[in-house]
Amino acid sequence: MGRVLVMVGSDLRQQVLDRSIFIFGLAVPLALMWVFSLIFAPLAEELEPVTVAVSGPADDPLTGTLVETLGGLDDAVDVTVLEADAADVPALLADGEVGAGVLVPDGFSAALADGDAPQVQVRLPESPGLEGEVVTAVVDGVLRQFTATARTAAAAEELGGQPEEVDAVLAEDAATGPSVGWAQGETADEQLSARESIVAGQAGFFLLFTVGFGVLGLVVEREWGTLARLLSMPIPSWWVLLSKGLSSWLLGVLATGVLLLAGSLLFDDVHLGSPAVIAVLLLAVVAAATSIMFVIAKVARSAEQAGVAQTIVAITLGMSGGAFFRVSSEGALGTMLQLNPVTALGRGLGITAGGGGVVDLAPVLLAMGLMCVAMAALAVRVPGRRDVL
Amino acid sequence: MTTPVLQVDALRRSFGPATVVDGVSLRVDPGETVGLLGPNGAGKTTTISMIAGLLRPDDGSVRIQGVDMAKDPLAAKRHLGLVPQDLAIYPELSARSNLFFFGRLQGMRGTALRRRVAEVLDVVGLTDRATGASKTFSGGMKRRLNIAIGLLHEPRLLILDEPTVGVDPQSRNAILESVEALSGEGMAVLYTTHYMEEAERLCDRIGIMDAGRVIAEGTRDELVEITGGADTVTLVGEGPLDEVEVAVAGIPAVREVRRVAGERRLVMMVQGAPQAISAIVATATGAGMTLRDVETSRPDLESVFLHLTGKALRD
Repeated sequence: MGRVLVMVGSDLRQQVLDRSIFIFGLAVPLALMWVFSLIFAPLAEELEPVTVAVSGPADDPLTGTLVETLGGLDDAVDVTVLEADAADVPALLADGEVGAGVLVPDGFSAALADGDAPQVQVRLPESPGLEGEVVTAVVDGVLRQFTATARTAAAAEELGGQPEEVDAVLAEDAATGPSVGWAQGETADEQLSARESIVAGQAGFFLLFTVGFGVLGLVVEREWGTLARLLSMPIPSWWVLLSKGLSSWLLGVLATGVLLLAGSLLFDDVHLGSPAVIAVLLLAVVAAATSIMFVIAKVARSAEQAGVAQTIVAITLGMSGGAFFRVSSEGALGTMLQLNPVTALGRGLGITAGGGGVVDLAPVLLAMGLMCVAMAALAVRVPGRRDVL
Repeated sequence: MTTPVLQVDALRRSFGPATVVDGVSLRVDPGETVGLLGPNGAGKTTTISMIAGLLRPDDGSVRIQGVDMAKDPLAAKRHLGLVPQDLAIYPELSARSNLFFFGRLQGMRGTALRRRVAEVLDVVGLTDRATGASKTFSGGMKRRLNIAIGLLHEPRLLILDEPTVGVDPQSRNAILESVEALSGEGMAVLYTTHYMEEAERLCDRIGIMDAGRVIAEGTRDELVEITGGADTVTLVGEGPLDEVEVAVAGIPAVREVRRVAGERRLVMMVQGAPQAISAIVATATGAGMTLRDVETSRPDLESVFLHLTGKALRD
């Protein structure tokens, strides 16, 4: 088996001399991570503080509840309520002094109690941002709840309830306030932040190129004639196969490890979890990615064909695995998507980022193990060159 | 009787419906150089691939140094050095690194490997360029490195598959000199080529291959004897070649006349061409042929191939 290591060492040395691995395995993915981070990560940043101008009748109980609800959204967005005249709201919006305006009509509570449909207006600037959308959603929710309560009270009165009792219910509802709440969602245990997703996605996507440097070398060596020479040597042919697989695997683990480390160091707020647990995840994910390359090496008739096939596979698995944008799917398709090294890397890093250990990674590791077996079987069965595979 | 280094019996191999190698048998003894001569597509490389254990034969057997390739391929391959038709070297590595790599795969190491690397670099004249990346080498230098790798572990049998393809005359001569030296050292050499001159110069015995079969085998002189020692005369020109063919066939010295397919050319085997040439030319022109060229040659492997197959070796 020492001769397997001789072949692996020679392969790695040639990759270093060729320098392509540094370009496609490290430089390009890091550059793309940086670009994607600039483009996509700001979209997922926390909401900015916003001032909301509210114009409404003084001492109106439901208007007071609405103002209190808006002012109580501090966990999600810091809202300052500015009481203003209805006529001043357009100017405040135009000057950018407020991020939203809410105009409550006179006699709002009484109109609701009488079963009327009073119109509450929410005015937003031309570019309201996410903060304006949040204010609109909260006002909408509060009004729906007020309306539901008023309708319930009217129904109760129609069914024979005493008007005093119904009024008491309405007054209690106004005093308590609606149960509408808003808070910035915490990431679930298996979800990465936007920047972490970019780092994981690009690392997974380029892994599918890095592992090609070893196994797809079989196709190149067919063309060079060195594969024939290797197979004429007094070594089992599967040693040649093993050496190529090991080269791919080592290159994939090293390059992806460096990418994840660099992503953690170069970008803010990227925390992927325990290095030891990530290492275990990498070993399995890279093995699965390497197994795909054996299928390509079997069917490709030339190095050019192998390169095209590798690119198609990488883009397909990269896109379906969320390397460029998040994807979600359920049922059989969702299960199939789990058999994807890019998906597995993202999901696994989500677990490690949430503090998960090797045991928590078990489903991901199992999926990657299954994928290795499936790809190995496919590489043996699929029609193609029969020199080593 | 010595044990042959290579004994090939009735090798057969098909790809789909096409039978590429059809019952090839060969024997190469120690210190002997045997050539496989034939045009491109004759089945030489497929035969070599089966001998080297790269391709499993459909039928037949290969024994190297008495070891059956099918039963114990690793033991058989220990006695084998292969120089493939392709430039089987790693371009990013230097000549020395290539040699060390393949030497280690042959199980060589330490001082013995270093000594042998220096020796083969010297044999192929690459000592001065041992450390430069082989991708910077000329075609001839790459070919010589290709041969050096095959020689490195001092195999009992060296297989050279068209080792001079695409090589300049100077490098070609250097390669041929290297091969000549090898048989002098007791190595058995199997040499495939479609260059008649190389086969004549290097080989103790030659097998002529066509369409997957060895159609004749023997020493150069034995093969030439197949033609009856006749010279080859070729007439090139226009006219009623069918009538000319009949006319020249009537000349007593002309043993055989053939038209080369697709060409305005008549090739004939002639006993004593210098004496008969004037009668041949007169008959051909008398039958209406406008001659553009007349070629005569002494009997050689080309004429043997032509005699046996009706085709030129390089068709």
